[in-house]
Amino acid sequence: MGQIMEQMPIVVDALNVGFLQTLKLFFVTLIGAFPLGLVIAFGSMSRFRPLSYLSKFVVWIIRGTPLMIQLLIIYYFPGLVLHNPIWGGGEAGRFLAASVSFILNYACYFSEIYRGGIQGVPVGQEEAGLVLGMTRSQIFFKITLLQMIKRIVPPMSNEIITLVKDTSLARIIALQEIIWAGQAFMKGSHGISGAIWPLFFTAVYYLIFNGILTMLLGRLERKLDYFR
Amino acid sequence: MKKWITILLTAAMVLSLAACGNSGADKDSGADASSGADSSDDSSGSDMEYVKGKGKLVIGITDFEPMDYKADGDEWIGFDADMAKAFAESLGVEAEFVEIDWDNKIMELDGKTIDCVWNGMTLTSEVTSSMECSNAYCNNAQVVIVPSDVADKYQDKDSLSDLTFAVEAGSAGEEAVENLELEFTSVKAQADALMEVAAGTSDAAVIDSLMAAAMVGEGTGYADLTYTCGLNDEEYGVGFRKGSDLAKALNDFFASSYEDGSMLECAEKYGVQAAVIEQ
Repeated sequence: MGQIMEQMPIVVDALNVGFLQTLKLFFVTLIGAFPLGLVIAFGSMSRFRPLSYLSKFVVWIIRGTPLMIQLLIIYYFPGLVLHNPIWGGGEAGRFLAASVSFILNYACYFSEIYRGGIQGVPVGQEEAGLVLGMTRSQIFFKITLLQMIKRIVPPMSNEIITLVKDTSLARIIALQEIIWAGQAFMKGSHGISGAIWPLFFTAVYYLIFNGILTMLLGRLERKLDYFR
Repeated sequence: MKKWITILLTAAMVLSLAACGNSGADKDSGADASSGADSSDDSSGSDMEYVKGKGKLVIGITDFEPMDYKADGDEWIGFDADMAKAFAESLGVEAEFVEIDWDNKIMELDGKTIDCVWNGMTLTSEVTSSMECSNAYCNNAQVVIVPSDVADKYQDKDSLSDLTFAVEAGSAGEEAVENLELEFTSVKAQADALMEVAAGTSDAAVIDSLMAAAMVGEGTGYADLTYTCGLNDEEYGVGFRKGSDLAKALNDFFASSYEDGSMLECAEKYGVQAAVIEQ
């Protein structure tokens, strides 16, 4: 126990650095995947067949394969097959490749949630809008969108919390997020070797962050409660 | 009418995304043509030119004391790290260290995200068949790790048959237990193998002796573990892309730095001079 107390400041410093990477990947993914998901959702709902087939095909590929494989393909494929390592070997390139993989992957999941949310709004409301002479885009932004947001908050909360934990997959392309940082102490890092506890201690970071997220998302859900 | 505009806009967005992909692919194929030329030169020996053209040698490592590690601050030090810096300097390029996932080292090399693997890498048949390797520069051995309180019983190879082992997948330790036909589980890293023993999920582990010296016994995180007998001797080497001319350049560099004593001097700094192989 005394030893742990001694190691604590060093370990916490290293884990903080790792968790910063985790957070960066988390927020970048959300910022990218929220709008891209909407584009894909419109695509799959489009009455223009080729477009909806294309969107559904992309969603099938991305949802049908493990994120870990997608990470490996997106990071290594350009160098291995095209002989042009576009990402480079450095940390920034690894982060970029991870971001692209995560945004694509999560946008596909989000798109299906959006689609459910949009199609869940009763068709009568759209018809009422048409009767009032509103245009399609007016109907979407003034009538459908907010109700859709209210409907999708619970399933989106689920995905967002899963995303926090999924970021740990990025270690497969050596993105040094918090699990990587914790594991480094098992082998030896920062002068501490053979320490197992930092790896388990990373769970505390996830728990606290997810606790905060759950609270915020719950508050958002209550705020949107006036729609019925 | 508006409906069609919406659809068109959405289509435009999707297509522009696709177009991004295309232009990226175009760029790729453009660069591909040139790097294709490079790779055709590769066979006639231009990996060195590729590295010199970039101005830096990207070295794939893991955090591995005393070979590659950080003591204070951000700089990578260690026997391997210092030698790598000196080698890069001799080429007139900068050394850049990148931590990699050890399982993916061959993919990293072939995908050109790194230029060499220089991290106390045992020259196993897997390594020598997939990489262009330098001459061996350091000796090492695989040793058995057991809890200290039962160590007396397991001092030679014949006593090991009733133990279950944890070994790193693809490591020289795995090869060793396979050859002895012992019961074993493959785990992701040597450190994981130690954790298996500490947690009691395996009776023993096989890891390399340099690492064992640093990680188990009195004053380490695994004070209750110890190492007993050695299973086989092995050698460390540096791996480059298959067909790379850098391996030969490094052999020459090793030879000259062994001759002028700078290699041993560097080894003494990290306490591995006894293991260095004459070049």
